[in-house]
Amino acid sequence: MSILVDENTRLLVQGITGREGTFHTQQMLEYGTNIVAGVTPGKGGGEVEGVPVFNTVRQAVEERGANATVIFVPPRLNVSAVYEAMYAGIPLIITIAEGVPVHDMLGAYHLSQKKKCRIIGPNSFGVISPGKSKAGFMSHKIFSPGKVGILSRSATNCYETVFLMTREGIGQSTVVGVGGDMIPGSTFVDLLPLFQEDPETEAIVLIGEIGGNDEEIAAKYIKNNITKPVVAFIAGKNAPREKSMGHAGAIVSAGGEGSAQNKEEVLQEAGAYIAESTAHIVEIVKTILQ
Amino acid sequence: MKLLEYKAQELFDLYNIPTNKGIVVDKLDDLKTTGKEFSFPVVVKAQVLVGGRGKAGGIKFAENKEELENIVSQMLGSTLKGLPVKKVLVTRKITAEKEWYLSITLDRKIKAPLLMFSSQGGMDIEEVAKETPEKIVRVPVEPLEGIRDHMAWYILDKTGIDSSFLTPLFKLSENLYRFFREYDCLLAEINPLMVTADGQLLAVDAKVDIDDSSLFRHPDMVKFRDELTEDPLVIEARKYNFLYIPIDTEGRVGVISNGSGMLMSTIDLFSQKGVKAACALDLGGGATYDRIAKAIEIVFSNPQVEAVLINIFGGITRCDEVARGVELARREATLDKFLVVRMEGTNREIGVEIVRNITPPVPLAESVQEGVEIVSEWLKERNR
Repeated sequence: MSILVDENTRLLVQGITGREGTFHTQQMLEYGTNIVAGVTPGKGGGEVEGVPVFNTVRQAVEERGANATVIFVPPRLNVSAVYEAMYAGIPLIITIAEGVPVHDMLGAYHLSQKKKCRIIGPNSFGVISPGKSKAGFMSHKIFSPGKVGILSRSATNCYETVFLMTREGIGQSTVVGVGGDMIPGSTFVDLLPLFQEDPETEAIVLIGEIGGNDEEIAAKYIKNNITKPVVAFIAGKNAPREKSMGHAGAIVSAGGEGSAQNKEEVLQEAGAYIAESTAHIVEIVKTILQ
Repeated sequence: MKLLEYKAQELFDLYNIPTNKGIVVDKLDDLKTTGKEFSFPVVVKAQVLVGGRGKAGGIKFAENKEELENIVSQMLGSTLKGLPVKKVLVTRKITAEKEWYLSITLDRKIKAPLLMFSSQGGMDIEEVAKETPEKIVRVPVEPLEGIRDHMAWYILDKTGIDSSFLTPLFKLSENLYRFFREYDCLLAEINPLMVTADGQLLAVDAKVDIDDSSLFRHPDMVKFRDELTEDPLVIEARKYNFLYIPIDTEGRVGVISNGSGMLMSTIDLFSQKGVKAACALDLGGGATYDRIAKAIEIVFSNPQVEAVLINIFGGITRCDEVARGVELARREATLDKFLVVRMEGTNREIGVEIVRNITPPVPLAESVQEGVEIVSEWLKERNR
């Protein structure tokens, strides 16, 4: 088991004929992902790396039974691609572009709630269930199959953690990039229940950062519903206020809302282990799993 | 991207949001050449992005022409909370019956726009929220629905304001929401919202924050952005698609990384050692050697910076490119600045080989911790 993607995932790649789309299709195929179709409007009928290309998502679903999609479409057009996937009834939509206007995402998020589909991202590296399937652009060499589930707002902090884990012989069940934007399609609280239910996952790592209150909401949920050990790391303790630290969502307000200190406090209170650095995450996980 | 008041006013005008119009002046002579007769008293407002502008001396009143010229000449070229005043706005002074507050923010908690009203306008809303939270009315807006008149009713009911304000308040909220949506705002705030003696609503100050990711839709705003950013290194970095963030005026370390998260966690590690960062630079993904050299040059040109740690976890960014960038930068940069590299990921071995052969030598750290350690020790030695 694992969450979101596995060997039964029939993945669609939207924007498959673009430079990034083509490159990562080849990478995902190499990893063993079952990519059943690609979509680029106007390029239907062709093939990329042996994957049939369609004009519309609906066609890809009808003819190839795609049940998840990863979107390699630039930020300006990104949300149109998300909408198309939602209207075609795809239950899992992973979108990776950085720089998607937050108002675009706002509408898409609310529609996804109505249509009961799950959006991961934007500004995310995607989702990987090591050894089974990957839908995203993460460099898969550092991942290894195992028992730790990871949810991360940051790609680089996540890679660092996974790299150290794998070196220590600690594998991952599924690693999800929830993304660094202000309004992610799914937040920690939406995904925590999946790890709680997944028999393969024995510990959960949550890599958060300053801005918003997704960690606070997660803390409440952890306290009441999660019985598996949770290790949390929050980046940006020393970031200046009112300045975005690169991720659009990583910003502490003038009044101090979204600070790392508050997030750590409530997570600790909820029973999570608080890590001081990415290396410390791995130390804690190691002790937990022993 | 935050807008200066006068610019926000211009946009409000387009959306039928009544403002207290004035003239923008960036040199004293402008006062004469406008040919405009001011009807005194007037207000002079420094066009600077700081909170608590009035208290800091950025808002002054003039009773006559002489006073006006004095105030304008004093204000222009001065600094307000460290930021230079390049423009002032001169408007007529309004006598308010009441001062209210109206804003729309993009609320991350509810993932929707939030309409906020307070009968306690004219002061910092965060202060009102702390001291008299009951004075703030919050109305979540369904993004697919927009503003409805029941929301204005709700506000009047909660605040006890006379029902004759229903239509004006509803229309104003509707216009503000239309602006908020069409200009991709994170915040559109009117504070104070003045009620004049004849019952008119007037936006006397305007605060607007536009989503940076939407700027491709607002090219008219982009050219305005560099004017706002005071740090020339931010502008220089932007040319190369880097994000340069000034952090601490007492900091002595610069941090360069290929992602926002790692930038933050590296700065945090320095803080654990008691070392403050002066600035940080996010390379983004896939930087080539010439751009990496440029990034180092930008961070080095911050006079506060004595040492730089480059921390790369290479996925799309290749370590050999990083190493070549470091080599190029080291050749050209002044040698009194210290440079340490830590890199992991794609093409690491080639990168390490290149870095080992750089003269003068550039220390190569095996981990982030070690990189932070080397830099911190060097600073300690230097200060001894």
